[in-house]
Amino acid sequence: MTELILMAHVLFGVACLIASVWIFVEALHASETNQARIRKMSLAAAVFMWLAFCIAGYWYVVFYKVDKAIILKGPWPFAHSFFMETKEHLVILLLLLVTYLPIAASNNLVANQDARRVVLWVSGMIALMALMMEGEGAIIAMGVKVALLVK
Amino acid sequence: MENTSVSKYTVSFGLSLALTSVINALLVVAKEKSPSVMAGLQKLTGHHWVSHSAIVLFLFAAFGWIFARANGGRGIQLTTNTLIRTLVSGVVIGGLVIMGFYLIGD
Repeated sequence: MTELILMAHVLFGVACLIASVWIFVEALHASETNQARIRKMSLAAAVFMWLAFCIAGYWYVVFYKVDKAIILKGPWPFAHSFFMETKEHLVILLLLLVTYLPIAASNNLVANQDARRVVLWVSGMIALMALMMEGEGAIIAMGVKVALLVK
Repeated sequence: MENTSVSKYTVSFGLSLALTSVINALLVVAKEKSPSVMAGLQKLTGHHWVSHSAIVLFLFAAFGWIFARANGGRGIQLTTNTLIRTLVSGVVIGGLVIMGFYLIGD
């Protein structure tokens, strides 16, 4: 069950990452034909990230203490002391960015170059931060694995 | 100051995002350095991270709402360049404070 929760968390995180890259590319070529799609995708990115956040939050609060104890006894304690600690707080920034994205995308992106620039910056930052979160998640998982391997 | 060409909510919530990103980082430092702050957050919802997240999200919504009502309801007036600079700086500073703290400060 915990594995399914973790996999769902990663799945929605990756979906948010893909959606943000999609929005970035569409915003570069904003036109009357893709403006509605940009707005729908920005909402989708927000929904994906909120799902990833809530699922991960549930897992973190309920199940993570077991993994944390394993990581701290293993050869990669930094997987918790740096990567998990930063991930659990940086992800709040990511959540704020994706919540803001639909607001920025609600402007007229075809006629308004300034609004397009805001969407490009925000979707670009979301993509980079989501990629960073995926990387940190991988290191945390590896921290558990190497700790179990040396047992 | 020049009028912005994006909506007042884009400006107000953009500024709120920058501000709450920095507050998020400061709250990390405060709770890790002060056992009483950590205990207070723990007591609020039963888990410090849940309280921390709820506070930051509430502040984001509250500041965005307040900034949109400034200037007699017209919202804070900023150029888009200033908005983008503030937004990116807030997120980068917030991120660097968190990473720097766990790298050298904790």
